[in-house]
Amino acid sequence: MSASSGPARATAVGYGLLFYLFLFGPLIIMTVTAFNSSSFPRISPWECFTTDWFGVLISDRRLMDGLWTSVTIGIGVVLIAVPFGLAGALALSEITPRLRSALYTVLITPVLIPGVVLGISTIVFWGSVGQLVGSGRAGIFFDGTFLTIAGQVTFVAAYAMLIFMARLQRFDPTLTEAALDLGATPGQAFRKILLPFLRPAIASAAFLTLLASFENYNTTVFTILADSTFTTALASKVRYGIDPSLSALAVIIIALTLIGAITHEAVMRRREALLKGRGVRSGLYASRAGRIAAHPATIFCLLVAIAGITVIRGSQYDSSVCRAEILEERRAVQERLMEEQRQRMRQQRESQPAAAAPSTAPGGSAPRNSSPFGGAFGGGLAPGGATGEPTALPAPTPGSPASNGDGTSETAPSNQSPFGSAFGSGLAPGSAGREDATPGGSPSPDDGAPPASP
Amino acid sequence: MIEAVRNGFRAFVGRYGLAVAVYIAAAMFVWVVLLIVLPQIAMIDTSFRGNVPASAVGGPDDGYTLSNYAAFVLGPMGNGNLFDVTILIRTLVAAVAVTLIDIALCYPVAYMLAHSATGVTARLMVLGLIAPFWINEILRAFAFRIIFGSTGLINEVGQATGLMDRPFDFISADVALYSSLAYSYILLMIFPIYNAVEALDKNQIEAARDMGAGTLRVHWRIVLPVAKPGIASGATIVFMLTAGALAAPQILGGPSSLWFTQLVYQWFNDAGNWPRGAAYATILLVTCITFVLLMMKVFRVPIGAIGR
Repeated sequence: MSASSGPARATAVGYGLLFYLFLFGPLIIMTVTAFNSSSFPRISPWECFTTDWFGVLISDRRLMDGLWTSVTIGIGVVLIAVPFGLAGALALSEITPRLRSALYTVLITPVLIPGVVLGISTIVFWGSVGQLVGSGRAGIFFDGTFLTIAGQVTFVAAYAMLIFMARLQRFDPTLTEAALDLGATPGQAFRKILLPFLRPAIASAAFLTLLASFENYNTTVFTILADSTFTTALASKVRYGIDPSLSALAVIIIALTLIGAITHEAVMRRREALLKGRGVRSGLYASRAGRIAAHPATIFCLLVAIAGITVIRGSQYDSSVCRAEILEERRAVQERLMEEQRQRMRQQRESQPAAAAPSTAPGGSAPRNSSPFGGAFGGGLAPGGATGEPTALPAPTPGSPASNGDGTSETAPSNQSPFGSAFGSGLAPGSAGREDATPGGSPSPDDGAPPASP
Repeated sequence: MIEAVRNGFRAFVGRYGLAVAVYIAAAMFVWVVLLIVLPQIAMIDTSFRGNVPASAVGGPDDGYTLSNYAAFVLGPMGNGNLFDVTILIRTLVAAVAVTLIDIALCYPVAYMLAHSATGVTARLMVLGLIAPFWINEILRAFAFRIIFGSTGLINEVGQATGLMDRPFDFISADVALYSSLAYSYILLMIFPIYNAVEALDKNQIEAARDMGAGTLRVHWRIVLPVAKPGIASGATIVFMLTAGALAAPQILGGPSSLWFTQLVYQWFNDAGNWPRGAAYATILLVTCITFVLLMMKVFRVPIGAIGR
């Protein structure tokens, strides 16, 4: 097989690496963008390391309200779907093959049919039930939470059923026979033999159904009606403008997943080692300290502690200085462009004194710079100002505007801003936000200038 | 049928007691009848009704009509505007494309997972496969918007390195959408193929190799026939989920390309026309199922292979 020949193996490994790069690339990129202060989620250009997006995420009211709705729905779905899935798996295990395949087809269909269809059929059906029993629009049949649970259980229970079916395949029915022969009632046989055997499956089914319920969008977006769950709130947030707080959410989920995955791996290894006998695994389980250190609970606590410390450290991290620098940098670029514009206008005026109308326009917008963060507004208002490639232009130090002409009086107050011009010139102008480059954001100074109508 | 149900019930009573048997019967009834069958019937029923105000429901105006289906074929003006039909066909074609991409992507990995990787490597590979899918569907689409947006990573890097002289609009070209959909359903393609390929006896491959078959030939003649039910199962799931996807097209779809589910959504939520929305949902459902059954006939795969 491919393991035997060198080039084939290299191809296989290379392909595998590429594949996993594709799998993890988006996650890595999201993680990195969560810590960039740029208001559009991006890696380059890098602005500031910041943890502020986590705060933005947590203070998003709609998402947090949706989170509670989602938790309620998730618990409801787990409580119904897991017993339903168990019932389905047990029913399939006892009936005749013909009925079995028919029932299996019916039960598995909701997994395959589009979620949109499930959502619509759920609200249409329960709506007509509501009309039939005469409950008004305020009744339970028009309640988003109830409808969402009903709609999600339809297909989520099938996931649980598949898990139980896989587990039941390994069940030895003679165990039940033996219990019955020894005098157990059928009920006791169920409670004491079958349910304990299924316990791991119940746990994983509960976990999977909770996740499926939480994640679901296609069905929920219909059944939730006017309310919103976490996922639908998230979707409308993404549709109407994105910012890195979504990346921050991804980071949180990834961190939780990593903690879960590592703990799971520790549990698996421990189980393996215990099965093979303690001595088999090199010394780790031989000493008491090693046993404690390698125990999944220890590893879990350690990971949680690391995560907790990271969160505390992260929440104390202050990126305002760096952000102010970025703003100042943009303001500086902006100011320089304005200054160039003024100089050019002055030259124009000198060359053609007939067009005497002294440009008052720049004066109108300049005092804005006197606020500490004036550059931010300046950059936003004149798109050309913040965009790149003004490198070809002469670069006067922004803090010391040419002290002659009409520029002086307006720009002078800007030097009183807390951050002055300290960070002005040494920064690469091309790195300023390109997403601001709305149409017309060409580097030509004419576009970047304030309205300079004669 | 009734007889079979009764026998099954008796077997349960004998084995697990009356209480458990009654519970199973009740749960099956609620699940099959109240959650699966009746809602579908209600949806189809609604799709044949006119869009009457709530006060007139059940009244004389609330009769059956084909107008919702006629509107799909003939367009809003009734003069044969095939806008919606085009969208349906484009959705199906795109879903097929995504399915093919996933088969091509996943077959080698599933094969490696089943026959080359062992021990820790295999476990890490499986873990690596699952991990990206804990992330919310919405966030996955969001990630692809970061990557493919007009100021996204690829455009930034491409311009910075001089490979691109101007940003390429991946969103309008649907590159972002297709990548995101293919990415989302990788897991659902890999595991069915893996399950099928794992059953293959390695000796068969060795034998074919000893007799001089090249890698391609081994796969075409030995591995693929064994993998076929798995591929069919995975392809069905991926196709159905892609055709029924709503979030990714909403987030990543270009301005000019609608997904058929978006039409359903618009009729339902934006236009408030439930019967029309139900009709479009029915059209989507029937078309998808017909297509899948047709494909299974063409490739001679039994329906029972799905979902196992």
